[in-house]
Amino acid sequence: MGSRRSRLELIFDILLAIQNKGGRIKPTHLMYKSNLSHKLLNSYLEELIGKELVLIQEEQVKKKQAPNKMVVITEKGLGFLAEFRRMREFTDAFGL
Amino acid sequence: MVFTLDWFNGLDLVFEAIGFLVAMLIAAYSWRVYQVSMESRFKYFSLAFLLVSLSLLIKVITSSAVYFTEVRLLADAIARPVFGPERQFSLLFYNAGFFLEMASLLGGWLLIFFISQRSRGRLRKYYELSQMALFVYLVLLISWIANFNKTWFYLTGAVLLSLVVLNYYKNYLNNGNKNTSQIMVAFLLVLLGHLAFVFLEWVPGLYAVGQVLQLAGFITLLYTYMRIIR
Repeated sequence: MGSRRSRLELIFDILLAIQNKGGRIKPTHLMYKSNLSHKLLNSYLEELIGKELVLIQEEQVKKKQAPNKMVVITEKGLGFLAEFRRMREFTDAFGL
Repeated sequence: MVFTLDWFNGLDLVFEAIGFLVAMLIAAYSWRVYQVSMESRFKYFSLAFLLVSLSLLIKVITSSAVYFTEVRLLADAIARPVFGPERQFSLLFYNAGFFLEMASLLGGWLLIFFISQRSRGRLRKYYELSQMALFVYLVLLISWIANFNKTWFYLTGAVLLSLVVLNYYKNYLNNGNKNTSQIMVAFLLVLLGHLAFVFLEWVPGLYAVGQVLQLAGFITLLYTYMRIIR
């Protein structure tokens, strides 16, 4: 069994999952891809939305259905993803 | 007590100023990671390098006062109201400066040793905090004793750095990361510098060797840091 992910790794995994899906993903898919519970994902999403790293967009698929919610990574979020990679490299290199 | 060689006067200040800047750079980046992750290990790592940089800064200031008459006269003018007209407290302040330089450097190496052990949540555990408290006490004690003989300071620093190098060697075996091996080499060079300083009383020429090795260590740290964040 792998060790528990740190907060930094969780945020990285969430943003990476969105980027790997072309920058937009359904919340349920994100939950599976990032391997997080519904409650935990929501709390992280709230924080990421607050920091403007992701945003929620509503998408009308069929006229009579309720719109689908999509999680979209922002430009700032993409910038942060690059920064996170550097931070992770720093963390690994210094054995933190 | 200053061990420097006449021909080396001033060069060591430049070397230590470079070390100060490198340590500050790593402390600042670690603090940035802490602000994003809110994980205490990054805060402690930042503090560790801040302590190392503080020590180097104190060394630069005190050595400047010894080497340069202008700086000495300026320090004298500023300190006279505190030391008294006969400067009867000057020795006390001189020793306090040395104490701060030694305690912060040993404290910095000690923190790096604890953090590089790669155990999650280690700093939250009570028994490890009590272990740290014991080590901090020993560092303060050695810093006080080393005011009478600086060899103890360099020897303790060398022991702590040996443990840090050993931790990075183990980390390198675990992750095979090239950057980790470079950091290990950087600390190894600083360790060799400290080992050279241990024998200063018998071979004064080792001061230059120790300074060059220490500078090489900090430059290796800087090179690795630049590779990571580029």
